[in-house]
Amino acid sequence: MTFFAVPHVSIRRTKLAAAATLLALSALHATAAIVPTGVTLAAKQELVRNNGSEVETLDPALVESVVAANVSRDLFESLTATDPDGKVVPGVAEKWEQKDATTWIFHLRKNARWSNGDPVTANDFVYGCQRFVDPKTASSYASVFGPFVQNGADIVAGKKPASALGVRAIDANTIEVRTDGLVPFLPELMSNPNFGPVHRATVEKFGKDWTKPGNLVSNGAFQLKDWQVNSKLVLTKNANYWDKKNVQLTQVTYLPVEDENTDVKLFQSGENDMTYQLPTGTYAKYSQQFPKDIRNSLILGTRYYSFNNRDPLLKDVRVRKALSMVIDRDLLAQRVTADGQTPLYGLLPKGVSGADVSNYEWSAWPMAKRVEEAKKLLEQAGVKPGTKLRFAMNTSDYNKKMAIFVASEWKTKLGLTMDIESMEFKVLLKKRHEGDYQIARNGWVADYNDATTFLTLVQCKSEQNDNFNCNPKADALIKNAAGTADLAKRAQLQTEAAKLVMDDYPMLPLLQYGLPRLVKSYVGGYSLKNPMDHYGSKDLYIVKH
Amino acid sequence: MWSYTLRRVLLTLPTLLIVVTICYLLLHATPGGPFDGERKVSAEVLANLQAKYHLGEPLWKQYLFYLDGLMHGDLGASFRYADWSVNDLVLRALPVSLTIGGVSMLLAIVIGVALGVAAALYRNSIADYALMLVSNAGNVFPSFVLGPVLILVFAILLKWLPAGGWNDFQLRYMALPVALLVMINVATVGRVTRASLIEVLNTNYIRTARAKGLPMRTVVLRHALKPTLIPVVSVIGPLAISSITAAVVTESVFSLPGIGKLIVNGAANRDYTLVLGLVVLVTVVAVVLNLLVDLAYAWLDPKIRY
Repeated sequence: MTFFAVPHVSIRRTKLAAAATLLALSALHATAAIVPTGVTLAAKQELVRNNGSEVETLDPALVESVVAANVSRDLFESLTATDPDGKVVPGVAEKWEQKDATTWIFHLRKNARWSNGDPVTANDFVYGCQRFVDPKTASSYASVFGPFVQNGADIVAGKKPASALGVRAIDANTIEVRTDGLVPFLPELMSNPNFGPVHRATVEKFGKDWTKPGNLVSNGAFQLKDWQVNSKLVLTKNANYWDKKNVQLTQVTYLPVEDENTDVKLFQSGENDMTYQLPTGTYAKYSQQFPKDIRNSLILGTRYYSFNNRDPLLKDVRVRKALSMVIDRDLLAQRVTADGQTPLYGLLPKGVSGADVSNYEWSAWPMAKRVEEAKKLLEQAGVKPGTKLRFAMNTSDYNKKMAIFVASEWKTKLGLTMDIESMEFKVLLKKRHEGDYQIARNGWVADYNDATTFLTLVQCKSEQNDNFNCNPKADALIKNAAGTADLAKRAQLQTEAAKLVMDDYPMLPLLQYGLPRLVKSYVGGYSLKNPMDHYGSKDLYIVKH
Repeated sequence: MWSYTLRRVLLTLPTLLIVVTICYLLLHATPGGPFDGERKVSAEVLANLQAKYHLGEPLWKQYLFYLDGLMHGDLGASFRYADWSVNDLVLRALPVSLTIGGVSMLLAIVIGVALGVAAALYRNSIADYALMLVSNAGNVFPSFVLGPVLILVFAILLKWLPAGGWNDFQLRYMALPVALLVMINVATVGRVTRASLIEVLNTNYIRTARAKGLPMRTVVLRHALKPTLIPVVSVIGPLAISSITAAVVTESVFSLPGIGKLIVNGAANRDYTLVLGLVVLVTVVAVVLNLLVDLAYAWLDPKIRY
């Protein structure tokens, strides 16, 4: 399976200015499962959920994939957390405030405990954060999140010691976090397991084996009971968790089933309460077969094709625009993938914070007009019908379906032919990162809920820019936005940048990700408004059935 | 025979070295590295990761480093599963694969030989055709079709057995994967047994035994079965190896934590050490099984001496 980047959830842009105060006031709200009145809980509160693949680690500093982050959030609670709707709520920090533009103070609750009964202190967070960015730990995400915190980038690069990180304990229950530049989404960033606390004595006692069952000491709603690689990972309720009265589940079993058909069969036979994803092309069938169990929510992720902007044919913006204009995303979403994903006509998916989502103007035109305009553009660029395009993708039924549709759109509407080259995922990644392709399948799931995570895909010299496009004006706007404290102004600049860069057609946006899955109707607390697909087990419960 | 066995065991070492070297070079020649992901890691992080796993060194140095570990019984650290060493992963997956593969092989031999004998004794009769048809069905249908059908019938419709998973060697969880592997292997064993027994039954010494007035049962069990099994034993070696190592589909269909899944995922993730560790293991298992097959020949046919 594909490992997405670790997603994160955010607070709304418009509320950011007052976020600190509001959150401080709401600090006493419980974050765990709120069972609506009238709902009777089942006597047995045990959940089995498929996680899609085996986790690469349980060490919060090394967590990289979505699947590892899912388990990590159950085991470890960071300063902040997210509720079932993806909003930031207090975690170990019961309140926080922004002292100045780059300094934040987090106040820890005094009743937070590790699973062995030790108090969770500010030093546990300082140790966890320093360990995360320490080059010796070699965390893949250290260069993604580390640079947001003061000196983070230099520490990852080995230029400064880990102790220079801008996270320090003011006292046992107060933490100061200094950022490099303005990071309005810092409270949300801090919900990330990478910035979570680590029980130092356990790491020092067991070394590399500290995450094994029997050794692992966690501070989240659950603790580790058993871990059999490629078989199951069992968590039990943490009796020392500060909000244990609001945690309903007594046991959670994560399955690492990769085969989607096997996943559904386990669901059908009652051995799994939540599938991870559905097999390609089965959404309509299972919607009919399991109308009460099918759940689908859009997440902050995009499916797109990268245009190699250095390619002799594609370096002409008119060609890229023509290719983008003629793809009928509505047809693609409704008839081809047909699994609840929605058409995408821009860089940003719906629901993202930090910018307004804009669509290409022509997306509202009738198709005939779009085709006519595209033909004109190709003619001006000197591209004749019969011209061959090369498309690279990693082998999967889903990718194949989409590619055949796109190829047919270009063939029937523009007379262009497309050779589809299917390859292993790692080979595609290498080709894409090195620019050894013409058009390539691509996708992105937000690392955190802010437009900047998507803007990195199109910025000049960004490591994540596989299109090799560059728009200095858009880059300047993004840079301005990064230094703007006024959140409305920041959003305006980022919106403008996204629009400007997309007018260069560096990529071909196709769909916004939806994640349809089967969840037993008796599983409560599963929200359909969860843009980051974070379903903490502490928010779920089993209804009497 | 002992010196033959010792010689065979010693010959394993150069075989192992050649296999490891070829595999090592192939893995490193494959495009894409262990740390390539949808999100490209920064140059600094890549340097940190390479330092952690000694990947920054020249290839020959890495190779010698690996061989040194191997000689000390250390298969190295997994790149994909950061919390586990390859030794840990292999030691956890191997018992699962050995149990499923071993039990299914044993059953396939017993059932296959019984079916083959019955078919040979009643050859060209309806019973022969029926037995061969049933046993061949397992060979004809691919495991990714048979497996889900078994799950549909026994787990979803009848709800007798779990649809998949593994629970500490509980028989309930082993039943369907074992049944699938038996169905796949039984046809081969049955077919070879049938053909071999027919040939043996046509030999002079069997004719003599029958002429002496021995009942058919005694003729088959005492005189014909042993020589019949020689070609059967030849196919058991490769079948047993494939039951343990190539059970990728079975492991995927039933979500089993065996070594087939580790190999495939290891190769896809460019988890060099994990793949190499498993290759070493598979090579050793293959050599041991082949040795056992060769030794079984001597027992079955006294004419064969080593």
